[in-house]
Amino acid sequence: MPVSDNGFVVLEKGRVLDADAAARSQGVVDGMRRGGVLTLAPNANLRERELTREEQTVSGVAFALLQFTPNVVIADENVVLADVTASLRLFGGLRALRQRVRRTVADFGVTCTASIAPTAEATWLIARAGGGVALTQRSLSRVLKRIPLGVLPPARRFAEWFDGLGCTTIDDVTRLPRAGLKKRCGTALLDALDRAKGEAPEVHEWLTMPPAFDARVELPDRIEHVEAALFAARRLTLQMTGWLAARQLAVARFVVSLEHERGRDAIPPTGVEVALGEPTWHEEHLVRLLKERLSRIELAAPVIALRLEAKDVREAEAPGDSLFPEPGGSPQDHARLMELLTARLGSGNVMRAAPVADFRPEVAAQWVPVSSESKPSRTDLPRDLPRPAWLLEVPIQLIMRGHRPFYGTPLRMVSPGERIECGWQDGHIVTRDYFVAEAENNLHYWVFRERVGSRDEREPRWFLHGLFG
Amino acid sequence: MALPLLNFEAIHPDLWRASQLGSAHGRTVASGDAGLDAELPGRGWPTGALTEVIVPQPGCGELRLLKAALETVATRPVFVLQPPHRLQPAAFTWWGVGAENIRVLKAATTADSLWAAEQILRARTAGALLFWQQQVRPEALRRLHLAAQRADTLLFLFRPTAAANSTSPAPLRISIDAAPDGVNVSFIKRRGPHRDKPVFVALSPSPVLLNRHAPLDRRSSATPAHREFLPNLVHAGV
Repeated sequence: MPVSDNGFVVLEKGRVLDADAAARSQGVVDGMRRGGVLTLAPNANLRERELTREEQTVSGVAFALLQFTPNVVIADENVVLADVTASLRLFGGLRALRQRVRRTVADFGVTCTASIAPTAEATWLIARAGGGVALTQRSLSRVLKRIPLGVLPPARRFAEWFDGLGCTTIDDVTRLPRAGLKKRCGTALLDALDRAKGEAPEVHEWLTMPPAFDARVELPDRIEHVEAALFAARRLTLQMTGWLAARQLAVARFVVSLEHERGRDAIPPTGVEVALGEPTWHEEHLVRLLKERLSRIELAAPVIALRLEAKDVREAEAPGDSLFPEPGGSPQDHARLMELLTARLGSGNVMRAAPVADFRPEVAAQWVPVSSESKPSRTDLPRDLPRPAWLLEVPIQLIMRGHRPFYGTPLRMVSPGERIECGWQDGHIVTRDYFVAEAENNLHYWVFRERVGSRDEREPRWFLHGLFG
Repeated sequence: MALPLLNFEAIHPDLWRASQLGSAHGRTVASGDAGLDAELPGRGWPTGALTEVIVPQPGCGELRLLKAALETVATRPVFVLQPPHRLQPAAFTWWGVGAENIRVLKAATTADSLWAAEQILRARTAGALLFWQQQVRPEALRRLHLAAQRADTLLFLFRPTAAANSTSPAPLRISIDAAPDGVNVSFIKRRGPHRDKPVFVALSPSPVLLNRHAPLDRRSSATPAHREFLPNLVHAGV
């Protein structure tokens, strides 16, 4: 529920269903009519309950929880049940697992009350009654006894009758004679109690996973800045990682489309396609990538909905369980890092060496984007040629003083000339004599003298082309 | 009365005498020069810490100074972030270092480059990160140093001479100057005693291909053999 100063009230059929603390401090109580709310809190934000969106949120949470266990049930009254019996060891125990579940749900953007119990019915009851933990049979019966009767759905029809009997908690009902209770209230109430105590079997309708992932979320408001859409994108990513984990898949390519508000003309949704070098199912990596990609796009119009589609999924590789992990991190870590750097800096700014077998230094020193497919050339570069580490993109013409090139100080040649004559085949002909020059402050420069033909009526010019780093 | 402790330095690695060199926390990578190693805390370049290198201008031997260290970590990727000029792979071949694992990154803004440095350090896959940055705010340096402490990456930050006087959280700050056949490494800050005199480090391979000392050592032209005449010949002539 959004935090506001003026109060936020949810109505259902004209009656208050829920209100936030600000509204409650102004006197709004559950069941109040709309007029009463407007009198007490005139500035409060009133909203009608939207069942479809509620359902969507709950099923989103259920999908997100799939990353912890494949057995998830969407139960009645906004409860999601998950069977974590088999997941305890993998996630480092009950406490750690509960913390991760809580964090996942919080990342999803909703608050929750969590409960843990040996039976699903009991978990449901405890969660509806405010949350708690009951791990053994004894603590379970102790906790169950204290749960108010109104929480149990089959008992609600007989609330007045139980009230007359003086029964307020489940404990009071269990002490009533069983045969009479069955006659009066039917079997549903007794069955529910038996299931909670573990005396009757439970049947669940597990959440079935769709064969392909395609989720859409409508934003509560129109969004004009991409950063604000990240929250919704995160929600979708959580759902997708849950789906991936449950199906043991890894995503290699996915598309986030930002659906725009329809103005005079329909605007096609902006698609952000994220292709991964290494298929992954880790939520944090996907979110980080998405964040970098989303922050770089500009919105054509306000966004009203987000949609995430997993385009290309592969079988997930089992995590390596080597006893001594490599000190330098795994190749997957490196691939993930390169993806992240490429996403933010742009693919043209993350480069690897691709030396070309050419005599011209500016052609030989090639750097290509890491993502490019070109194979590294197999030609071995000559090992005995002195080459400076830094190559100037544009050679600097040197002035002459006393028949010597001058760059800060007069330069003295300390190497025999190396003649490079090449490039007739592609039009960039180069005829140069390269020297290593030493300045008076002991710096070394790579300079060249252009060669002029005998017909050119000018002195050869000197250029600075490299620095010995 | 308690006995005075005689070797304080044995109590904790963070403790050393003013006359001693401190120890590096993590591993160090040998610099390839015995004279320089002896002056570096932990006898080498520190991993998992920020090292600042003050260079007056690009091209005064800064990369060849780190050649041995880069060779040691060459099996892991080496990131070159915001280099001042284009890097020539042929230079690495000349030094005998493979250039396959070198990745060059360019960033449009300072924020982007700092972000990239932090991500590289956080991923812990890099063997070394060489980072050129003209202007860095002190809090960004601190953040970089903190990120470096979590990884075992060699992190060198190259800064201009103007940065030598500003404060920095880096535990090791050196400045280098070109010298004949090598560089002079002076210590601006290190865990150990102050040292005024720079350490000379010979750099190999040297681009000087002509023999520098040839004119001095040249032998004087051969003296003509002393002509001796047999005495009987001399007398014969008379």
